Formats: sequence, structure tokens, C-alpha cells
Amino acid sequence: MTDLSPSTAILLLLWGTVVGLDLVSVPQAMFARPVVAGAVAGWLAGDLEAGLRVGVLFELFALDVLPVGAVRYPDYGPATVAATALAAGSPWQFALGVSAALGLVLAVLGGFSLQMVRRANTRAIQRRSAALAAGESGAIRELQYGSLGRDAGRAAGLTALGLAGAWLLAEPAAHLDRSTGLGLTLVAMGCALSAVIGGALRSAGRGGRRLHWLGAGALVGLLAAALR
Amino acid sequence: MNGGWRAWLRLFAVQGTWNYERMLGVGMGYSAEPLLEDLKTVDPVRHTEAVVRSAEFFNCNPNLAGLALGATARAEYDGVPGAHIARLRTALCSPLGAMGDQLFWAGLVPLLVGATLVGVVLGAHWWAVLGFLAVYNLARVATGAWSLRTGLDAGTKVGSAIAESWIPRAIERVGPAAGFAVGLAIPLVGGWYLEDLGWPAAFGALAVAATGVAVTRWFGASLTTVRFTLLGLALLVVFRWVLP
Repeated sequence: MTDLSPSTAILLLLWGTVVGLDLVSVPQAMFARPVVAGAVAGWLAGDLEAGLRVGVLFELFALDVLPVGAVRYPDYGPATVAATALAAGSPWQFALGVSAALGLVLAVLGGFSLQMVRRANTRAIQRRSAALAAGESGAIRELQYGSLGRDAGRAAGLTALGLAGAWLLAEPAAHLDRSTGLGLTLVAMGCALSAVIGGALRSAGRGGRRLHWLGAGALVGLLAAALR
Repeated sequence: MNGGWRAWLRLFAVQGTWNYERMLGVGMGYSAEPLLEDLKTVDPVRHTEAVVRSAEFFNCNPNLAGLALGATARAEYDGVPGAHIARLRTALCSPLGAMGDQLFWAGLVPLLVGATLVGVVLGAHWWAVLGFLAVYNLARVATGAWSLRTGLDAGTKVGSAIAESWIPRAIERVGPAAGFAVGLAIPLVGGWYLEDLGWPAAFGALAVAATGVAVTRWFGASLTTVRFTLLGLALLVVFRWVLP
């Protein structure tokens, strides 16, 4: 991990907050996609390569998620920001596995924190049910702004926790022997590939047009990878 | 009816108050407020009833919420009975959810993310990421504006407007394209990571990937890929600790 200056840490915290808000609340502009969150976090931390390596890895996990209805899913955005902060400045081959571990734990916590915010929103609505039943537009606005504030707080807290985790793990990660670091990276990469393959197969179903196109894409991709 | 632009802007935060009781309901009420303002001067009682209805339970894909928002706002101005508007709102939940999820979450997003991953791997780096943001947000903004306009124009006939629109055709096309893009990205991304690490390391990672696909399919929801990964990382650390 590169020694982050206070200003860089604050920028990463702000970016993590934006990314966390973007996932569900506002504006859903796809800043929360790991490849975006990681690229910007890497640029802010002075190591774009680390941001892209971490971002692409988490994107493989995120492609396994279909965010429909009330389904619970990990929040990969702030997780990617924190994992990038940990990986920045180190050779990715040895840092990616430890960063992935930090990020995945944080992503799971992010999923739980989303549920907590949704329950808090429910309680706030129940408290204002009389005003809602009376058709008070002001109550609707208050609920909306309160909920956005709760989600911003959630995202900021999650990112701060992740950055603190990155700071705490930086020293042990730097002293990790290379074979363990590489082994962790290989496990994380293998698991990420299993996530995207499993997710793609589930989305494609059995024998449909999408499955045929998935297979065609994989064949072209294999050919392109071999020719690179 | 005024307030269309403000309502469209507010739709970007339609999931802001997502909760397990009314789901998108309060966000819809927040977005409907500018559209219903003119009703206050024409018929204050109707306006109050419309505001109550606008914040009741609703759920659908956020990118197509404008169709329901516009249709119900138009119905309020047209004097459609309140019970009819509530039924229209309920009836729109499932189709708008299913179509929006297929179009965006299972279609456009994986299509563009797959293309972005290919772009990053092939060296486009920032440009791939910026291109993804630009294309997605253009599509999303245009769809949001179209949805709201179509809903406002169609009112209670919004079901027919949706059926005759471009959406069903787009859903048919975007799914296979997303499959192709993700399929294309998987080997390229795998190669991007593994090319510097040598064959033994690549073989190891691919063995983990194959095991992961098999095990997570076998165990289903009880062993997600995230849990499998954390388990694998923890086992490796313990193994290295016991056998240094």
C-alpha cells in the first residue's frame, strides 16, 4: 500500500461515498461498478494499474449479481475502493489476493448495511404514516432526503472502515512471503473466474439463444487471447 | 401539466427511500410531486388524494419507472377514479419490473461491462471505462425521458404503448449480445491476469475456477462464490501457517 496522504484518503472516502450512494439510491450512473470505482480509486491513489486490476477482479464477482426486487447482494463499490487503496503501490501479482480478501469481507458487510438502511427507511415511513395518509408532500420530501442521508452515511462508514482495514493490513501484507501472496492472488482469480462463469451460465439458462451466443463469445475470446 | 423536467430529474433518485414496506413508493411520490403541483389549484381535494396514492406501494425497474409515473399522473388529471389508478399502478409493477430487469440488469449492463472488460484488457484503460459510462448513461437518460413522456401521453393506455414500443424487440436482441460480450471477456480477462504468471500458476487458478463452478452449482445458495472465495483464501492462509 502506498502511504496515502490525508488529502488522498479524504478523496478516496468521498469517492467511496459517491460510489456507495450510486449503487441503489442516486444516481445509478454505474459509478458503483467495480471497474469504474477501481479505476478512479487507482487514479486517486496514484496507481491506475492497481485500480484496474482490482476493479476487473471485483467486476467478475459483480457480474454474478442480478439486483432484482428485494434480493440481498454484496456492495462491491466501496469494497473496491478500499481494496484498491491496499493494493496501490505494490506488485499486483502479490497484492491482489490480500486486497480481494479485504474487499470481499467489506462487500458482504456492505450487503448487510444496505438491509439495515432499508429497515431504517421502513421505520421512518411508519413514523410518518399519518402525514403520508394525509397527503403531505413535505413528509414525502423529508423521508426522501432522510433516506438519502442514511445511505450516504452508510457508504461513508463502509468506505472509512475499509480504508482503516487497508491501513491496518498494509504492514502485514508487505511482509507476506511472496509465495503466499501469489497463492492468495491465484485463489482470488480462480474464484472470480468461477463467479463470472457460473453467473453467465445461470443467466443463459439451458439451450437458449443466449447460451449459444455465450459459447460463441467464449470461442472468439479464446482465439483472441491465444493470438495476443 | 408542468413539472416534467423536475419529475424526470427526481426519477434519478426514485430508489432513494427503498424499503421493505412500500419499496419504490415514496421515491415515486417524490418524483410525482412536480407533476401534481398544477392539480392543487384546479382541485385541491383531488390533489391531496393523488399525493397519497403517489407514495403508496410500488416496485419496478427504476429505469422504466417513468412509464408508471407519467401514466398515473396523466390519469389523475384526466379524472380517472382513484381505485382505477391504484389498480393501474399495481398492474404495472410486474411487467415494468420484468422488462426493465431484462433490458438493463440482464442485458445492457452485462453487455457494456463485458465490452469494457475487453477494452481494458486490450489496453484502452481509461477510454474503455469512460466509454462505458457515456454509453450507459446516454441509454439510461434517453430511456428515462422516453418513459416519462410515453406515460404522460398514454395515460391509462400505457400498456398498449409499451407493447407497441421498441422495448420488447430490444429485450430480444440485448440478451444474446450480453451473452456474447461476457463470453468474449472471460478468456481475455483470464489471459490478462495469467499471462505473466506462467503455466503452473495459470493451471492452478483454472483448477480453482473449475472447482468453484462445480461446488457452487452443487451447493446452490448455501455456498455463494463470495463464501467459496473467502473459504479458499482462509484455507490457504491456514495451510501456509501450519506448513510454512
